[in-house]
Amino acid sequence: MTEKKPNRVGVFICHCGTNIAGVIPIEELKAYAKTLPNVVHADNYTYMCSTPGQEKIRTAIKEQNLDAVVVAACSPRLHEPTFRKASAAGGLNMFIFEMANIREQSSWIHMKEPEKATQKAKDIIRMSVARASLLEPLDTKYIPVEKSIMVIGAGVAGIQASLEIADSGITTYLIEKEPSIGGNMSRLDKTFPTLDCSQCILTPKMVDVDRHPNIKTMTYCEVEKVDGYIGNFTVTVRKKARGVKEADCNGCGDCAAVCPVTKGNEFDLGLGPRKAIYVPFPQAVPLKYTVDFNSCIKCELCVKKCGDKNAIDLNMKDELVEIKVGTIVVAAGFDLYEIEKKEEWGYGRFDNVITGMQFERFINASGPTGGKLIRPSDGQKPHNVAFVLCAGSRDQDANPYCSRVCCMYSLKHAHQIMEKMPGVVPWLFYMDIRAFGKAYEEFYYRIQDEGAKFVRGRVSYIEEDPATKNLIVHAEDTLLGTPVTLEADVVVLASAIVPKATTELLRNKLTISRSPDKFLLEAHPKLNPFSTSTDGIFLAGCCQGPKDIPDTVAQAAGAAAAAQVPINQGKVALEPIAAKVSEELCAGCGICEAQCPYKAISMVSLADGKRRANVNDAMCKGCGTCGATCPGGAIKMQHFTTPQIVAQIDAFLLGGGQ
Amino acid sequence: MSESKFKSSLFLGCIAPNRYPGIEAATIKTSKNLGVELVDLKGAGCCPAPGAFGSMDLLTWEALAARNICLSEQMGMNCTVVCNGCYKSLYDVNEKLKQNPAEKEKVNGILKLADMKFQGSIEVRHVAEQLYNDVGIKKIRDSVVQPLNGIKVGIHYGCHLLRPGRERNFPNAPSFGTELPRFLDEMVEALGARSMEYQNKMMCCGAGGGVRGYKKDFALDMTNEKLRNMQAVGVDCIVDVCPFCHLQFDLGQVEIKEKFGDVYNIPVLHYGQLLGLAQGLSPDELGLEAHQIKVDSLLDKIV
Repeated sequence: MTEKKPNRVGVFICHCGTNIAGVIPIEELKAYAKTLPNVVHADNYTYMCSTPGQEKIRTAIKEQNLDAVVVAACSPRLHEPTFRKASAAGGLNMFIFEMANIREQSSWIHMKEPEKATQKAKDIIRMSVARASLLEPLDTKYIPVEKSIMVIGAGVAGIQASLEIADSGITTYLIEKEPSIGGNMSRLDKTFPTLDCSQCILTPKMVDVDRHPNIKTMTYCEVEKVDGYIGNFTVTVRKKARGVKEADCNGCGDCAAVCPVTKGNEFDLGLGPRKAIYVPFPQAVPLKYTVDFNSCIKCELCVKKCGDKNAIDLNMKDELVEIKVGTIVVAAGFDLYEIEKKEEWGYGRFDNVITGMQFERFINASGPTGGKLIRPSDGQKPHNVAFVLCAGSRDQDANPYCSRVCCMYSLKHAHQIMEKMPGVVPWLFYMDIRAFGKAYEEFYYRIQDEGAKFVRGRVSYIEEDPATKNLIVHAEDTLLGTPVTLEADVVVLASAIVPKATTELLRNKLTISRSPDKFLLEAHPKLNPFSTSTDGIFLAGCCQGPKDIPDTVAQAAGAAAAAQVPINQGKVALEPIAAKVSEELCAGCGICEAQCPYKAISMVSLADGKRRANVNDAMCKGCGTCGATCPGGAIKMQHFTTPQIVAQIDAFLLGGGQ
Repeated sequence: MSESKFKSSLFLGCIAPNRYPGIEAATIKTSKNLGVELVDLKGAGCCPAPGAFGSMDLLTWEALAARNICLSEQMGMNCTVVCNGCYKSLYDVNEKLKQNPAEKEKVNGILKLADMKFQGSIEVRHVAEQLYNDVGIKKIRDSVVQPLNGIKVGIHYGCHLLRPGRERNFPNAPSFGTELPRFLDEMVEALGARSMEYQNKMMCCGAGGGVRGYKKDFALDMTNEKLRNMQAVGVDCIVDVCPFCHLQFDLGQVEIKEKFGDVYNIPVLHYGQLLGLAQGLSPDELGLEAHQIKVDSLLDKIV
């Protein structure tokens, strides 16, 4: 490698208000920076990220003839893009920039020992300067973009996202693994706090989706495989054998009428029946029947009944189709926590203990009981109904997080009981009532005024009277400091929201991350809640974390907007921080291919029969795993070259400056 | 490994040797019939009582418990207890010190005064746990020579054996959970008896946590409620796995009669004693004569 003259470095130190300056003496840092090798300029400002701060960088590049910029401030995750732009505005290649994180890594965590914090900040700046002296210009590459988007999951999040995208003229593939779109929202009766009916607000959107010329809805389909990268994803979709040709089925239902097999309907959480050929609910979209091949006995009565329409094919097989899209919105939804794991509440053991979602099906006019809440044990009308809030949420033994909707839907359930069944008293056992949304607290007051009983305390255990099947609810009233016992006819457990078990499989296909609570991880919790760690893949709805309907719809619209950006730009920029394979040194052993977490490396066979590693720039994240594992040293990490890193380590170990 | 499961030291605690020696005798004899050798833990002190000591001074509680564990460590054996209170002290301290080096160091600082050092080399197990997990239901069933003729048993698990559930690293078996345990029920039914479901089965006997020592009326009121619930389903006897619960149900019935005038006369047996009867041991060998409530009515039903 030819020796190049080291860069002339300018160092800019940010006070970050008092975040840094309150702990570390900035003037001392500036004086120190000036003594470091290759530093020709040092300056400071209260907020380097502000317009005057950036202006300082721009001017100094020109006046001091700088080759490289170091900003000592916060984490590069926060402001690296900001300062790269500032450097570029001064005429530098934006990659000859280095961020020294003296806030998160020094002033914040060492705020009680300012002297050591100052020393550490000096070390960090010295190392950054050493690296910046050797940084090289890199070129940003652009790749073209496929002008279509896939939305995975057709609950209210996926529906909203699809409509937003399709309305802007982009072809949208909406993939749903159930026979109908609609998701969990289509199970609900009314929605809090306005009490408008869930069906009335959702079904028109479902119909819109079905009719939209730009939306290609694919129900009873699952994502099998995802290849490619932002702008150029190839998704393999498994069209599960439906047993019914969608084009030929007119939804008349004659087939179901003759089907001899009866099963619990999953849509009704097993509370109502369905046949082996079925639609999950009458308002299903598309209104096409589906054969459940696990319970079908192939008697072919339905085939005969269907007759000339010939819509049923009991020999149908799964089909795989490949779809090319530019970006993907994941709206995979949620499941309820398996509340039977909380054995003390007896779900699954006692007939009259049900979940909030089962309550929804009971109280729903189109549900299995036509909108009547009954005791599952004997079909009778209940008198006392107890609600256990935070069932599996805010619980160290289940899920530590708040599920965010249980307080509100339990209040709504209480209202529905009092409205539909005068004389029946709802008892809500709660820890806190979290009514955080618009008009939510007002709704809480309203339910109090209507006569619901509130007991502040967690239910410790529930017993069943074997004779009456009534439930004896034991709790502590923590406001009165006394144990309480309540005999209830029905207990409703407001079971926690958890990610779907299948979301984990999908996550691995998409190579996106998850947070410790197993929900899918957003790129930034505040400023980028709908992007993921993988470019071109976006999140909407409860797969990212528990949400109510307004938040879900808002996030879905946000994800839709974000997913359209690359499509509308027509091209995407690639960070050039990628691995580069030296053709002379690569022996084609393939170790790097197995190690790459982003599937960015493939082995190619050359004309002379040799193999060589090939890095796909669009997929490479520059993590460096391949560079570290390559036994021949054939992979160079651009922007993180060995000399650059060695210089950084040397600067740390050997010291320097005064 | 297999030997360590079937040979361990026996920590008796205070109530068993002083008030109900039959529990000790029954446990040693029945365990021997099942191939488990229980060796005296010489020099053992108070466990010490988790409620009384643990809530006053944590470190003293830990150090005294650790001393007993050290004695068992010196014998190179796991330690078996017959009492839920002892289990709480020895099991919890053993696990805590194993997992928390800083706490272990503090405790070892105190143990140094007695030239001892906690190593963390053994397991502490309740005899019920040992019988269920190591010996197994099949072997228990095979050891029965006098089936119990379907007598109705009111089982009382007791608190400290199961709680706090989060700190009980019980294997992930449904019947061995802490909220809805079935293991003792299975062990009783293996002897040919019937375990009766009754209201508030998992409620405290009333004695533990210093309640009996502090406010006896209150403790007996709780016991009375449990007795009432068990009587309501017609139990022939109560089976416990803890001498303190045992005392509360047995002596407690005498005290309840004096204070509240309620009479039950339900015989009370530690599981070891019930197992002993099923294994054909005589009531005398099992120390049943020492009980306040006569067990004759029960014996009549069995033989």
